[in-house]
Amino acid sequence: MSKAPGRAAAMPAALRAGAARRVDTRALVAGSAVALALVAAGPFVLPDFMVNNLIRAFLYAAVALTVDVLWGYTGVLTFGQSAFFGIGVYAVGLIFTHAGFNFEYAALAFAAAVIGAVIVALLVGWLAFYHGASPLYASVVTLVLPIVVTQLLYSGGTFTGSSSGLSGFESFQIELDAWFRIAGAFLVAVTAATWLFVRSDAGRVLVAIRENEPRCEYLGLDVSRIKTWLLAASAVVASIAGYAFASVQMVVAPEYAGFVFGTELVIWVALGGRGTLIGPVVGTLLIDVSTAYLSGNMPFMWKLVIGVTFVLVILAAPEGIGPLAARLLRGGRREGPGAEVPEVRPVADAAPAAGAEGAGAALEVSGVRKRFGSLLVLDGIDFVARRGELLSLVGPNGAGKTTLLRCIADGGERSAGDIVVNGRSIERRPPHECVGLGVGRKFQNANIFDALTVAETIRIAHARVDRPSLWSRSATLDLPQAVLRVLQTTGLDQQLGTRVRHLSHGQKQALELAMVLSLEPSVLLLDEPTAGLTKPERTLIGQILVDLAHTHDLCIVLVEHDLDFVREISSRVIVLHQGRIVLDGTVAEVVDSETVRTIYSGARR
Amino acid sequence: MAQLLDIVTTAAILYAVAAGLLIVFGVMKIINFAHGGFLTIGGYSALIVTRLGWNPWWSLGFAVVIGVVCGAIVERLVMRPLYARPLDAILATWGLGIVVGQVITLQFGREVQFVQSPVSGAMAILGESYSQYRLILVVLAVVLAVAIGLVLNATSLGLQTRAVIMNENLARGLGINSGLVRFATFSIGSGLAALAGALITPLSSVDPNMGVPWLVNAFMLVLVSGMSLVSLGVSCLVLGGAQVLVSTYGNPVAGGLTIVVLSALILRFRPQGFARE
Repeated sequence: MSKAPGRAAAMPAALRAGAARRVDTRALVAGSAVALALVAAGPFVLPDFMVNNLIRAFLYAAVALTVDVLWGYTGVLTFGQSAFFGIGVYAVGLIFTHAGFNFEYAALAFAAAVIGAVIVALLVGWLAFYHGASPLYASVVTLVLPIVVTQLLYSGGTFTGSSSGLSGFESFQIELDAWFRIAGAFLVAVTAATWLFVRSDAGRVLVAIRENEPRCEYLGLDVSRIKTWLLAASAVVASIAGYAFASVQMVVAPEYAGFVFGTELVIWVALGGRGTLIGPVVGTLLIDVSTAYLSGNMPFMWKLVIGVTFVLVILAAPEGIGPLAARLLRGGRREGPGAEVPEVRPVADAAPAAGAEGAGAALEVSGVRKRFGSLLVLDGIDFVARRGELLSLVGPNGAGKTTLLRCIADGGERSAGDIVVNGRSIERRPPHECVGLGVGRKFQNANIFDALTVAETIRIAHARVDRPSLWSRSATLDLPQAVLRVLQTTGLDQQLGTRVRHLSHGQKQALELAMVLSLEPSVLLLDEPTAGLTKPERTLIGQILVDLAHTHDLCIVLVEHDLDFVREISSRVIVLHQGRIVLDGTVAEVVDSETVRTIYSGARR
Repeated sequence: MAQLLDIVTTAAILYAVAAGLLIVFGVMKIINFAHGGFLTIGGYSALIVTRLGWNPWWSLGFAVVIGVVCGAIVERLVMRPLYARPLDAILATWGLGIVVGQVITLQFGREVQFVQSPVSGAMAILGESYSQYRLILVVLAVVLAVAIGLVLNATSLGLQTRAVIMNENLARGLGINSGLVRFATFSIGSGLAALAGALITPLSSVDPNMGVPWLVNAFMLVLVSGMSLVSLGVSCLVLGGAQVLVSTYGNPVAGGLTIVVLSALILRFRPQGFARE
């Protein structure tokens, strides 16, 4: 019924989306074509010295791109991409030196470069990106990696050539001009593929991780795994660049795997403009070529200039020189043209999770304890909640309400006890696996992804159910009925293209709710969903919640301070006090009881 | 016996190098990559003292003064605008490290140079004949630890610093000038780095990149130690000890990697490292 008007309203939006995508594709094709033409023509006009330098710069730029994807887009500051470049370099050096050069060995070296890079990347990912790892720790691991690799190379004796490296091996019989075109085409291809990837629906997930990683985990995304595979993919690109580099230079040395090179990559990306792809590529090309020319005349002075510029850019224009120039050209506006808006398509709700039909228990909490050091915050919590129930947790500050929600949404949180969701124990599962069991948690403060639009945010929240494409953007957005209702009731469906940072507080709260509902949960945990809202907004959210519990058969657990609100919507109330359940019953039994009044007023005993 | 002495003296050196980094990390919550640069500055301060023909002991005081002054300037010009962007602050300190290295190269050349040691020769201890200077370093490291401990626990600046380490926003709300605490901490931390640079140069030599290998080991130790000077001592003994043992019984390359690899693994399985909480 509601489909017809919805479609009509969404029509222009869909058209706009299509147009925006066509412009994108056209820009990509045109840009790549111009770049390839330049690469093809280069050797005719450039002096040999320049051709040689640019081959190296092209390959370095491809590695810089991987740094940009990891750091600029995903927020993983990495100093270690040089190590993967070094793996490619040494795959060539070692095999061509010790086994000789022929087509089979060249293929073998290529396979070794790729496989070696993937194995090391998976190892680094396991070490650096475990659930709960701090970003600083991850960066430190990427710093340790090239140090370990170079030390191993130093200690390899004649096998690795130690500090002087390996040289004088045979390699491909290819002219310098041809190498120029190969390296250039490689850079164009990597740039184009990366460009498609970061602008695809999956690419938006990277930005979401950068903006708010914990939130992503509570949206059911396995962030550790995403980062690890992203690292593996970028390791392969860096390693192939290294393979080509060693093949053309016919000399390998530990410096190419070293951490100084790794940090130089970060500097180039920062100067060119992190998170822009083109900026780091242009930055790397300019800096590397200038270095080749200037380091002969004034080697230390030039490095000093780079260092000073880097510090100044970080201080005054952290977005980098490229974006700064672009902004000046646009006349001071920070953001580019408005984002495109996908067409919204309602979808039928998924069948309830197995074993969750009827009035069975959706959530069983038994004997849950949580201690922070010697402080016991939850002391033996037991209750069972069913589908269709709207259960409010009330109690004074510090009673343990939020802690209890946290224990239900993250298996690693509680100190003792058991929690069963839809018949399955959450054990010690991390948040993203608890989402898989049917738990959806809305945070107290709406903390979302400021840089993304409403539609992108919802799509990421729905990514667990509906896998985003790695290379394209969908023109449609499939939404479960409940999500659509929240968006429509709050008017957010008219603002799908708005960036989250421009939304009002109430709209952000509604968007959070829509995000959590996009997970299609059966147990909905809401931490003060109406905090900071106006009276009409609160009434609206209250109605939606009651409706969700009834029509969608959700089990809703709600933390709330406003007893009037609790009275209006709850079907059951639990009172927590000092980490224990002191009352559990219907609204009438609990809210008006003497105990609650005593606890809240805090006085008479 | 010689190994025991090696372990203790190595731990003392590591402690001296890492102490300044630790207090900066505690207060500013950033890893100061420029620490290696300040260490180098200290090494070259000692070189200047040698060239001037002064008594080598002067190099310690001279290094501290130069380090504190450079640190104070850097804090005002570079760190202060980046308080709200800690990750950018880390990058900026890395850039500063490059700047320091290049300025020193331009001024002193890139070659390895040697400074005069305040004491030389060996003395008999525990039935061994052992380098006198390394033994003096142990005493100095202990004095340093006690001095830092006293400043933190017995002065009002120390009290304010501890408050900022625990909860900067709350400290500010209570009227503590956290900007001043950061300024003092960074200046003193830089002074300590330069002091450490002056202390270690008689053992080896100076070159414009001398700080880098120390830097990496030092900040692994800091990460493993959390924010406590006591656990820093423990980490230096345990990991420095492991380094000595691996170098002796394994090979020197593996020894050089011991601290970074062990620290990375310790943090993987116990993110709080050697700290209690």
